[in-house]
Amino acid sequence: MSPRLLGLACLSLFVAAGVVHAQQVGSDRAAAILVFPKVVVDTNNNAGRGRLDTLIRISNTLNKPVRMQCFWVNANGHCFNAPGIICDPTLLPRDDRCPANSVCVPGWQETDFIVQLTARQPVAWLASMGATLCTDTADPNLPCFPITGAGRPSPTNNLESRVPAVQEDPFVGELKCIAVDQNDVPIEDNALKGEALIVRSDVANNTNFFDVRAYNAIGIPALAGRNNRDNVLILGGNGAEYAGCPNVLILDHFFDGAVDPVAQQSISTALTLVPCTEDFLTQRPTSIPVQFLVFNEFEQRFSTSFRDFNCFREFRLSEIDTRVPTFSIFHAGVSGTLTGQTRIRGVAGNDRTRGQTLLGVAEEMRANGGSAAFQVHMQGTRPQSDFVYLPLQ
Amino acid sequence: MKGRLSRWVVRCAIVTWVASGLLALPGRADVSVERGSSIIIFPKVISDDDGLLTRGFPVETIIQISNTSNSLAFAHCFYVNAAPLDPRQPPGPFNPPQWQEVDFDLVLTKQQPTYWVVGQGRRVDPTDPQCSRVPPVFSCPNAGFDPGAIPAVPPNFQGQLVCIEVDSAGAPLNGNRLKGEATLVTPRSTTVNGVTMRQGEVSKYNAIGIAGLNTDTNSNDGDLTLCIGGNPRPGCPAGAEYNGCPDTVIVNHFGERATMPALPANDIPNSRVETEVTLVPCTQDFENQVPGSVVVQFRVTNEFENLFSASTTVTCWSNFRLAEVGRIFDASFLGTRFAQTRMTPGGIEQPGFLGVSEEFYNDGRGVLSRAALNLHVEGVRPGGDVITIPEVAP
Repeated sequence: MSPRLLGLACLSLFVAAGVVHAQQVGSDRAAAILVFPKVVVDTNNNAGRGRLDTLIRISNTLNKPVRMQCFWVNANGHCFNAPGIICDPTLLPRDDRCPANSVCVPGWQETDFIVQLTARQPVAWLASMGATLCTDTADPNLPCFPITGAGRPSPTNNLESRVPAVQEDPFVGELKCIAVDQNDVPIEDNALKGEALIVRSDVANNTNFFDVRAYNAIGIPALAGRNNRDNVLILGGNGAEYAGCPNVLILDHFFDGAVDPVAQQSISTALTLVPCTEDFLTQRPTSIPVQFLVFNEFEQRFSTSFRDFNCFREFRLSEIDTRVPTFSIFHAGVSGTLTGQTRIRGVAGNDRTRGQTLLGVAEEMRANGGSAAFQVHMQGTRPQSDFVYLPLQ
Repeated sequence: MKGRLSRWVVRCAIVTWVASGLLALPGRADVSVERGSSIIIFPKVISDDDGLLTRGFPVETIIQISNTSNSLAFAHCFYVNAAPLDPRQPPGPFNPPQWQEVDFDLVLTKQQPTYWVVGQGRRVDPTDPQCSRVPPVFSCPNAGFDPGAIPAVPPNFQGQLVCIEVDSAGAPLNGNRLKGEATLVTPRSTTVNGVTMRQGEVSKYNAIGIAGLNTDTNSNDGDLTLCIGGNPRPGCPAGAEYNGCPDTVIVNHFGERATMPALPANDIPNSRVETEVTLVPCTQDFENQVPGSVVVQFRVTNEFENLFSASTTVTCWSNFRLAEVGRIFDASFLGTRFAQTRMTPGGIEQPGFLGVSEEFYNDGRGVLSRAALNLHVEGVRPGGDVITIPEVAP
């Protein structure tokens, strides 16, 4: 090898080093993997919270086509002796929808689909309805894929795009989308950005209730020159193909029960967590203990943990550590101040090769008022990797 | 030849190691909405109980800031009032924006969160009663260590809040300890032209963080000129002290007045969505109170991949509905319900800018809801920006 060639290689390494360190998981940069931690559907108001639906918006930020493989992850629980009944495994002491001799068993079921985006194209779909091509028979009130082209499917049209509705209604779970090539092999195009809008309305009762909250999808960027095109995506650590997930999540929040100093309404915060490691191949959920470190405005520290986190969990903060919210360290009556800062950490297990990290989104609700979703802050990365196992093509 | 080659290999290894090490220190080279930073910017702060600046709907803002480190953090914060001189009159050449800054200091103990209501400020009062479980008292405004005397903004305020991490003497410091959120709250139910925004209707966004570079060695020279990205230049002889502002800001949005598909059209046919974007230039001169100005170019792509463009000028602070920029944002013109808009400065000599979007959803039955979203960013401004702050101590 000539010194000039070696110099070029050296320069490439230099650039690669920069790229590796510059890429971080975040919700404000286009990425190769998008994670929507919370998708909810309840169009029949089964839970009594009004009609719920989630609008997913995704766009391609590159000036070339990109294709994505997306996964609906159904985290609904089902009754043990009556699997046709959807229930909530987090309800205590039990979900009354299940028969008396049955318990609610948490579920984790993925369904995947392909969406082809043309250059810079924005698309959207409702989780409850999915989306198809815009044809003459398509409902004009629903989002659809407009570039039908002529003839065969190609990267410059949407002919291959078809989004199924979520597996069940009501539904709670996650959406993950991964940039792939025309052979559905993961690629390193950091092209995708997205948002989720959770829309709550009350049509049947005509109470004129209407509330929308929105959050940005969390992007996991691919690292240049690292993708080996197999079905195991390595996030951070040795052999990383994608940026590593954060070591710690940081949530600034009002303590539950705190009275909003402006609207004088009681505030509560819901936190949704999903693991960075997901196995779509064998559909085995990952078990991670979660530690919470809470500081109030007096710098007083509390902590608690949650053992049974597997694949998806939506917490009301004051129900993490107790069944009686007013006794929770996340309650204003216990913490003594209106706001707090909570550091959230997935505990690495005995298997030191796995990162056991988490991603999440927070929602702030006001009693008799509106709600807002917002991004959870992140800090650091871990030396270990997280893995996403894709179904074999 | 073999010796020469091995020398090259050694040099290459050293350069790569040094490069990766240097680049690892800052960890990234762009702004972020979810990492602790040394400068945090809240682009949209409104305190308007009369709704004069907000289409008749009163709005108040709650600011939350916290220290993400285990050591004491100091910050110097600036409100910039961009309301017109007479908020009761429409803005124009005879009623220009004030561009008036007011600054104050914050002190946060380790991991301390704090908050204040923009229209109320927060005074230092250690006797503020705490919340309690017995007896049940869950309204305890300002309980906790007060971070400092925070002035209330004047009535009918609209503008931005910028907080800069400093040391105990007030000199800028690269500690990357600060994070924050802003919550826009409707204080009471209000009906305007048959449309009601309920009490407690809220939208929330994360403050935009600009990280200081090389926190270990503190590349910040501690002077009053904060160099945001870019190479060495007049005023910034050592180049960047902070990460650079983005080259492109991207927003996904509904076409203006598009219908909300999540509402069943048969039952609720007349819903519509409008998007408001708030932009602030990255270059700001708080010392001379010279507002930064940037021409913003919009390139809009609809779902058919059709491309449209428009432009507007942002001086100091600008908050506008997309429809106010041009008809190209209208759903009836776009031809599709959704679009992606890329916003870039009008030229290399122009400053960068940051922003946030807020969407307003009218359900067609007279109820209005709102949600804020942080904007996506792409690239880094090559020329860099500068924030000039006033002297903090004689």
